[in-house]
Amino acid sequence: MADVREQDCPKKLPAVTKETQHDNTSQNNNRHSEENHQSAQQIAKSSLAQNSGDSDNPSKTGSIEESVTCQCGGDPTNQEVVQANGAEFSAKKATNLHLELDLATAIINKHKESTRHSRSKEDAVPSPKQSWLLRLFESKMFDMSIAISYLYNSKEPGVQAYIGNKMFSFIEEDVDFYLPQLLNMYIHMGEDMADALHPYIVARCRGGINFSLQSSWLLGAFSADARRHSRGIKLRKLILSEELRPVRTKREVLRLPSPTSPTTSPTKRTHQRSRSDFAAAALPSIKRSNSISKVTTGDLTTGRAFDSGCTCFDSSMGVMNDLFGKPTECVCNAPRLQPMREFINALMAIGSRLQGLATRELRTSRLYAELSLLNLNLPARVWLPCHPPQHHVVRIPHSAAVVLNSKDKAPYLIYVEVLECENANTCPVPTKILENTLRYTRSEENLQEYFNSDSPVHAFTVHPNFDQDDDCWSQDDIDLQLQYGDTQLELDRDEHDETVQSSPGIVSSDEDTKTDEAKPTQKKIGYYNQKSVSSDSVSQFSIESSTSNDSREPQYIAAADVRRRLSENLTTPPTKFKRDPEDPSAAALKEPWEDKVRRIRATSPYGHFPNWRLLSVIIKCGDDLRQELLAFQVLKQLQNIWKEEHVPLWVRPYHIIVTSADNGMIEPVLNAVSLHQIKKHSQLSLFNYFLREFGDTNSEEFLTAQKNFVQSSAAYSLVSYLLQVKDRHNGNILLDMEGHVIHIDFGFILSSSPRNLGFESSPFKLTHEFVEVMGGLNGDMFKYYKILMLQGFIAARKHMDKVVQLIEIMQTGSQLPCFKNGVSTVRGLRDRFHMNLTEEQLQLYVDSMVESSIHSLTTKLYDGFQYITNGIF
Amino acid sequence: MTTTPEKADKKDKESGLLRKGSSSKKPLKEKVVQIYESFFKGEDPSLGNPNFWDEFFLMKANVAYIEKAFSKMTPEQLVALKDNINLLCHRCILTLKEDYQIRVVNALQTMCALIRGVYGKSLGDYGFDIINILVGFDAAEVQMQRLIESVHSILTGDNPAGLKTLSLKLLLILVTATDNVSQNTILEYIMINSVFESVVQILANPMSRQVHGHDALLLLTILVNYRKYESVNPYIVKLSILDDELALNGLGWVISSALTEFNRKYKEKKEEPQSGWLSSITSMVGNIFVGDSDSVSAKVRTNDSILLALYEAVHLNRNFITVLTTSHTETSSGPSSPTTTRAVEGTREDELGPQADQQGGEAVQGPLPSTPPPDSSQTTNHMVTFLQYCSIVMQDIKDEQRLCSFKLCLVILTCIAEDQYANSFLHDANMNFVVHLYRMPMRHRKIAVPNTSSRPLACAWLDLTVEFIVTHMMKDFPMELYMRCLGIVHRLLCYQKKCRVRLQYTWKDLWTALINLVKFMIAQEAHLASRHNIFYLAIKVVNLFNLFITYGDTFLPSPTSYDELYYEVIRMHTVFDNLYSMALRHATNHGEHKDSATRLTNALVNIRAIVNHFTPKIDSWSAANHLSSLTEDQVLEVVRSNYDTLTLKLQESLDQYERYAEKPKESAFFTQLVRSIISDFRKSISVATLQQETVLQEFSHIH
Repeated sequence: MADVREQDCPKKLPAVTKETQHDNTSQNNNRHSEENHQSAQQIAKSSLAQNSGDSDNPSKTGSIEESVTCQCGGDPTNQEVVQANGAEFSAKKATNLHLELDLATAIINKHKESTRHSRSKEDAVPSPKQSWLLRLFESKMFDMSIAISYLYNSKEPGVQAYIGNKMFSFIEEDVDFYLPQLLNMYIHMGEDMADALHPYIVARCRGGINFSLQSSWLLGAFSADARRHSRGIKLRKLILSEELRPVRTKREVLRLPSPTSPTTSPTKRTHQRSRSDFAAAALPSIKRSNSISKVTTGDLTTGRAFDSGCTCFDSSMGVMNDLFGKPTECVCNAPRLQPMREFINALMAIGSRLQGLATRELRTSRLYAELSLLNLNLPARVWLPCHPPQHHVVRIPHSAAVVLNSKDKAPYLIYVEVLECENANTCPVPTKILENTLRYTRSEENLQEYFNSDSPVHAFTVHPNFDQDDDCWSQDDIDLQLQYGDTQLELDRDEHDETVQSSPGIVSSDEDTKTDEAKPTQKKIGYYNQKSVSSDSVSQFSIESSTSNDSREPQYIAAADVRRRLSENLTTPPTKFKRDPEDPSAAALKEPWEDKVRRIRATSPYGHFPNWRLLSVIIKCGDDLRQELLAFQVLKQLQNIWKEEHVPLWVRPYHIIVTSADNGMIEPVLNAVSLHQIKKHSQLSLFNYFLREFGDTNSEEFLTAQKNFVQSSAAYSLVSYLLQVKDRHNGNILLDMEGHVIHIDFGFILSSSPRNLGFESSPFKLTHEFVEVMGGLNGDMFKYYKILMLQGFIAARKHMDKVVQLIEIMQTGSQLPCFKNGVSTVRGLRDRFHMNLTEEQLQLYVDSMVESSIHSLTTKLYDGFQYITNGIF
Repeated sequence: MTTTPEKADKKDKESGLLRKGSSSKKPLKEKVVQIYESFFKGEDPSLGNPNFWDEFFLMKANVAYIEKAFSKMTPEQLVALKDNINLLCHRCILTLKEDYQIRVVNALQTMCALIRGVYGKSLGDYGFDIINILVGFDAAEVQMQRLIESVHSILTGDNPAGLKTLSLKLLLILVTATDNVSQNTILEYIMINSVFESVVQILANPMSRQVHGHDALLLLTILVNYRKYESVNPYIVKLSILDDELALNGLGWVISSALTEFNRKYKEKKEEPQSGWLSSITSMVGNIFVGDSDSVSAKVRTNDSILLALYEAVHLNRNFITVLTTSHTETSSGPSSPTTTRAVEGTREDELGPQADQQGGEAVQGPLPSTPPPDSSQTTNHMVTFLQYCSIVMQDIKDEQRLCSFKLCLVILTCIAEDQYANSFLHDANMNFVVHLYRMPMRHRKIAVPNTSSRPLACAWLDLTVEFIVTHMMKDFPMELYMRCLGIVHRLLCYQKKCRVRLQYTWKDLWTALINLVKFMIAQEAHLASRHNIFYLAIKVVNLFNLFITYGDTFLPSPTSYDELYYEVIRMHTVFDNLYSMALRHATNHGEHKDSATRLTNALVNIRAIVNHFTPKIDSWSAANHLSSLTEDQVLEVVRSNYDTLTLKLQESLDQYERYAEKPKESAFFTQLVRSIISDFRKSISVATLQQETVLQEFSHIH
């Protein structure tokens, strides 16, 4: 953090101080829209009223104070940076504003700092209006949301620049939420805006790899239809050129590398240590120099496709840091972004290769093959971008992956095993562990066979080893049970053992596992029996035991029991879906997440690590996820609003990573299956499915599930209405394990609908089935549903700007289908908030929407249409 | 490469030298041959000429001449030449360290020729020591260490492929120098100075394994078999603990591509008679390269080394099972062998369907399913390839050689079937594959539509065993193979029982095959009983039935399949009756198989109980309904309604088997196998192939 601060500060000051030297009298506020002006005044006023005490030392200006002091500190390298940044700014600035003067003076007044700024202090004549805006900007109320809206609405470069600087003082996560908006403005809103944002983006890119990646992807996606040399592309190139690295002071640079490591030399190409180089170095008597140093990055067959060639972690420094648990910063100039980019590229390439295959079955097997090839290159310094970069991907259990239901595109879902760490970039990558964790394999025993001569004495000395193996063997048994997730297995086994009580002397394998700790000696005997006798003599045992009836009681079982158990075992537990090659995702998604985690963990070679986690992600190749990203932002915003207003509405925004205009990743919603899959596999109505899953209508589980259903339905009904979400067939509506409804696929929102058929004219989807789950039209829960909708509506209306700005900004320069109606899109959205209605009127309006949705003919028609065309129930 | 001008100078000088030599007296005698001659006369031409060796190794080595010279020598002459041979070897080894590749090539070739020459001499007479003659006892340790180090750096460095091939050949010549690898004492030095790491590096690199993979694997396999049963062999240890995933993958790839190639050739040959001009041309082209009309059986022979490598990997290395189980695309592990035109993706499916149908319709004999050509879009797996290979090899086991190969196949399958990880993969419902097994043309067999749907691999395993059982009931009864085959089925069933895996398999195929086998044994009793203990086999069959009967609840796919089992037993009850009476007869007449016959009668208890329980029930039911013969459904109905009164005896240890152990039972087999592999290699490598490597000279010169 301290690092970042040091770099931040110089960028801000020149922006402010330079501009203060110009004189300009033009007014800015009248250019603001009426509305914003008003609200700004309101907020400013209120902030004045509230924060009069604080105004002496507003927290937001803290960094500026710092920056000033640090400037005066006179660090030579900082000065350089200042100049560099100053140059960036000096190129333009023909006009300047009073406001900036105000800002500068205000800062200076407050901090009573250096004489360098004394001239501008004298010049400062703040008018009341402007100081309100200034006060607003400096008040606690001024958050990222307000900043973004001023940034967007203000045409004044000064305001933009000020906010650009101000962003340095915001919490990074808050800014990150608006990253798509920021970058879209950067691309599409003119030179001044870009200049205002540039320093911030560059600084953050220097700081974080994740930020760099996200920015480069978004820049690529949003300038997809722009010219080759547009600003966005240029910035993207700058980021991808790997030149944006943390700035180091000269002292640091000198201190860091040791002379023995080759990491100091300036060009980065030469550092791509090839494996053969290394191997050669390790061998004593190699005389032929290896002239090849092929760059292996990106080639999956090399096993090092995601290896940037960074040697910092192998260096003595890295090893030492590892021992002390300290983070290691890469100083060897190896490409920072490349491993992640190659990783994402590899995933996307799989998606595009799957598209060429005809059947889902072919796709599935191809996916397994591709993923196992990918696995060769893991673990690596890569992480899933929809999660914070605090983990390393170590393995992709390929047989857990599923191809999702889609006709021409081939999206697929993968589960990814990761090991958590503090920071993926400063912690060493875990070492590889091979797949086969089951200990009952041949090699070890055979080795003993080879190395112990046949003398019986020897055989006895290795005795404990054998025993150990045996223990592991039984461990495998447990593993296998876990793997098959058959909880009934134990029960069955007990049952079986009761009937199948083996006679003493011979230890059956079943018993072996159970009496593990209890009777070690007996087991040993049993083991040796097993080992020493041949199979024929083993079966002889059984024959003898049955022939010599006098000594042992023969065991009998009833044939009817065998068959009964068989049919009982086969009545599959109702909570599971059967595997269907045509719809592999249904069974995979139905499996409860905890079970899946346990199952995969049990079979994973990394499963024993305490920091092992399972993550999942959907890879979409050939799909534009920019709209999904927008929908995510809106959902997230609404979620925050409703939380703030204490309205118990429930939504589940899922993360979207846009990697280009037609690729991306989606965070899967865990423990949820689509209504289509429910209907297809259970052959029940939704209500009956609820009964089966959660129990009787009076049970607590059912009531909780019903409450969840209502709260989520209400939320998504509102979202559907406000955003005009279309294509609401049952394949796009999920139901999770707790009864929540979750809408997915926001491919058709605002002004676009699928194939323009004009179906789905109702405000949102509310079928009789839904109402049935809510307890019927006259039920209390249905009333609750309507109340929730009203409350949610009122809350959303209160914070309308926060929602609308997200969409409005994204419309700039956008070619997305949801904006194809142009300006009227946003106007329509604003209208749907019905700011003019009183709460009573709004209630009536909600009621009428619900009414028309229930009785909507088009919903039914659309479901029927989907059934006919796509086979979706 | 960096010192080109200097070298060019030398080259000029050398060629001048040569010309001078050749222009004088005998026009056809090369300079190098003159030098050889003086060496073999016991002179040392290098004396007094400091540049002699530099120049000597610039001359093209004449392998043929050296070998001929050796063949003319008497043992006494050879012993007398010891010092000169030592000197030559010493110089060769020194030269291997040089940068200039032409010298290295010549040194390698000379070395090869010397080794072959000396060993060729000593074959008849083990009295004098090869090591001494070749490098000298005193220097042997140092020399061999140098040699191995140089070879290692050649193999792992960035060198032309030809050079690497040649150094691999050198090692191979060394390890195959004697018929019995364990008697080749010079290998002790290779035990001390390991080449394992070089082999691993070759296998790990996707490029180098394409060219050198086969040789490297052969080398490794032979080294692993050196004094396998007597001493600590470091190669066994190293192979056991090898955990380099890339190398293991490479190992799998080399094996699998060799097997794939074999499968492809077999398919081409099979299709030849009935298909059009296109395929005949391709097979003609294929034959040009193979150079043998009977390419199939010829190929099996060379594949023994590959099979042995597969066996060692499966048997020794626990991580290798993972490689076997991972699926891959044809392209993902390296470019596949050159194949004919590739179908466009997508249209593949449509194409394949009618084609297969057509074949099934018109071809009465011949392979029914056609293996699709390796396609870039095809997902496959090493196990699939291996199963396919097995199905081909087992078609003609009258040939002793093929019998051996198939036995090895079965041993490998047994080893795999004992591995839990492999089993969990074989039975994984998510991992489905299409396996095209070849079926033997038989007169009395319906052309069943082959099952080409993709299923868990365990189904293909069972299909393979069923196919073997059905097609090998012959007079020259392969008893051992049958035992192994049933052992594999037994292992799979044990796993299924233990892990409660319900494989969706039509078990009826297996039951019918087993019953037919019993039928055959009864019919051929007179012939078979004198040669084999057929009661062992019969017990195995009956115990498999017992597993189904008593533990069917744990692994059968449905209750109806349990009913069907009873139906089959009842339907074929005469077979079991006859088996019982045969066993009883042998048990009472104090013959040599008395004990096993007694055990067989005991094992039959449950089957007899079933037969005795249901037959009267069925009879009375048909009497009550006035039906002379019952349909299957009717019988099943009777079976279903009469379970309650049937009691079965629980036989113990049905779900246990003896783990496969190479020592001591199979050691003779493997010793013999290694011997034949070595002699194969020796036959295949000729002076010509070594001499051919001179092509390399041009190659390295261009560099």
